[in-house]
Amino acid sequence: MTLIDTDDQRDLASSVKRFVSGQAPMSAVRKTIASEASFDPDVWRRLSQELGVAGLPIPEQYGGAGASWSDLVVALRELGSGLVPTPVLATSVLATGTLLALDDEEARATWLPRFAEGTAVGTLAVSEGARRPWAVADSSVVVEDGTVTGTKTAVLNAAEADVLLVTTASGVVLVEKGAPGLTITPADALDLTRGIATVTLERTPGRLLAGDAAAAVDSVADLANLALASEQAAATKACLDMTTEYAKIRYSFGQPIGIYQGVKHPLADIYTDWALTDAAIRKASESLAEGSDTASLDAAVARHLASSGYVEAAKQTMLLHGGIGFTWEHDAHLYYRSAITGNVLLGGPAAQQDRIAEKLAV
Amino acid sequence: MSTDEFRAKALAWLQQNAKPFDDNEPSSGGATIEESKAFQKGLWEAGLAGITWPKEYGGQGLGTAEQLAFNEVAADFRMPVGPFVIGLGMPAPVLLEFGTEEQKKRHIAPMLRGDEIWSQLFSEPSGGSDVASLQTSAVRVEDGWLINGQKVWTSGAQFSDFGAVLVRTDPTRPKHQGITMFIVDLHHPGVTVRPLVVATGDAPFNEVFFDDVHVPEDAVIGEVNNGWAVAVAMLRYERVTIGTGVRARANPLGYDALVELVRARGLDGDPSVRRTLAQVYARESAMRSYSAVLHQEAKAGVPIGARGSAAKLAGATFPLWVSDLVQEIFGEEIALQTRDTLPIARSILAAPGGATAGGSNEIQRNIIAERVLGLPKDAGVDKNVPFNQLKLSK
Repeated sequence: MTLIDTDDQRDLASSVKRFVSGQAPMSAVRKTIASEASFDPDVWRRLSQELGVAGLPIPEQYGGAGASWSDLVVALRELGSGLVPTPVLATSVLATGTLLALDDEEARATWLPRFAEGTAVGTLAVSEGARRPWAVADSSVVVEDGTVTGTKTAVLNAAEADVLLVTTASGVVLVEKGAPGLTITPADALDLTRGIATVTLERTPGRLLAGDAAAAVDSVADLANLALASEQAAATKACLDMTTEYAKIRYSFGQPIGIYQGVKHPLADIYTDWALTDAAIRKASESLAEGSDTASLDAAVARHLASSGYVEAAKQTMLLHGGIGFTWEHDAHLYYRSAITGNVLLGGPAAQQDRIAEKLAV
Repeated sequence: MSTDEFRAKALAWLQQNAKPFDDNEPSSGGATIEESKAFQKGLWEAGLAGITWPKEYGGQGLGTAEQLAFNEVAADFRMPVGPFVIGLGMPAPVLLEFGTEEQKKRHIAPMLRGDEIWSQLFSEPSGGSDVASLQTSAVRVEDGWLINGQKVWTSGAQFSDFGAVLVRTDPTRPKHQGITMFIVDLHHPGVTVRPLVVATGDAPFNEVFFDDVHVPEDAVIGEVNNGWAVAVAMLRYERVTIGTGVRARANPLGYDALVELVRARGLDGDPSVRRTLAQVYARESAMRSYSAVLHQEAKAGVPIGARGSAAKLAGATFPLWVSDLVQEIFGEEIALQTRDTLPIARSILAAPGGATAGGSNEIQRNIIAERVLGLPKDAGVDKNVPFNQLKLSK
């Protein structure tokens, strides 16, 4: 099991990093935030077409790169580090992962090539408020006479999605944009870098996809955990780097504040937790790529550590920057918002701990 | 031999020669020194000691893959190698890095064979975190040096044959620049070893007194007055040894032991207990992954450097954290058991020790902040002052 990046992965990381600093720096992210859109379609198109990010996990027969989930993790790290708003999690992880895990050739052949070239956005509508996420049997969404009725919450990029995969107790239903009875209400969300919406379906026409929905959706939970963990750990490192640099240049009492243990010790703790989390993500990434028995467990462990570590790092970033860190102008609150949202999205802390316990068969 | 064949060989030998972990057996039941020596000799004869070390000094000359395979297999066995952990983990790799050809030829193979037990003697009553303020001295005499002073927190000195001892050799230089590391024969009549009883009631450490202990010129490891660089290297090895030494089944505060106790007490249906166990598993598993990442990077030529301090800090904070959690899980049972009837009670008592041994948590955080993150160093008002002009206490 290799836990360090391959040469190809290092190359991929540096191209995405270069793209982010050139095409989607924080100034551009702020422009997107100020606009109506939840991501810049031009950035997504170029990420997909020039760097092939969207199609990394999509098999070559559907126009993708046929790479592994651990390669996508490398790209997610760079995008997560810069809080770049994209539909990569919704499209390349959730929707792609679901179509690959199910057994519906027609849906794959129709949508995966469009996902790969960045010309269609897909998403998975899986959450229903307080109900257990990812447990399709618990869903209250009703499938009847080729239509679907119910409400899904916190759906990523629903407003931009060309196709929504809706989990129900009867299976996963494919609903297309503009279908009758489909209402998408974008949330004025805490996280300014993610598009999140509530989706209501009222006798909306949809096609029930072939395949074992419960198993497929459970496996997508692993992908979501790994992907979110990768973004979060990278954002944690960005918080750490930002605060470390500030501690070197900000002077108080005649010395850089980074000389004081009240500043350097929390940063050392954040580094240590990040290092453990990064290692856990590498393990989970390998386990998923190899189809190991412990893949679900490893992914939940990575997510649990990454989510809680990011919340702590983002909080300390605000605190250690002092007053400036509490201003709208400073990026600290963007990370703080992203950390809180990432912690509770698609299965929050208690759900992840339950999932770990369940996979350990405690 | 492929890695799988090596793993199979290791497993076969351990099944023949070591006992598997039995969780009902009290962890205090230990082997004698003679049994440990015999076991270590057997390991070496079977080609399972010094796996990654050069053949010319008695090692096996194999790679990290074989080492990891061995670690994995060995985790299920109770190996009575305690007396060798320090010598093989710290002085031996330092000798391989800094020692003369004669020193390596003389000591490495006997250590691997179990014929020589070593200790590390750095800390003094006046300073553990600030090791460089040490006051044990060596003065030049005919044919070598004469050592006087006192060390403390020395593990295993009572059964050790040799010690790697850090000593001041030039008090007119600033504190880091007048230190030398010596190989000292601990059987010398001028050496007195006295057990040090700690908070658990055990005496895992010693005080060691040096009274006109003569050592020859070739006892110097590295160069005279350059002992600080050698010490820093040894501390780096120490952090890796401590930080990655967590063997799940051996540790009563580790996940495997906790889950068995939770089941034995019928608490496994409690959702909050399950969540606590999940948190413990997550952190422990991440520590194992981090150790594997560091091993793989070291193998790929990326130096571990000060990141060993992150492993040490994680390893030291883990039992303190779990100590808090088990109080919630098991409640008053912990107060009503002795350290011998409930191993976790003993581990709770021992937990603070790990956060000071081998450099306190605060020192590790300084190292991470300064050497990994590049934050400015603490002022260090004594750094450039000759040692004999320093104020050493109130």
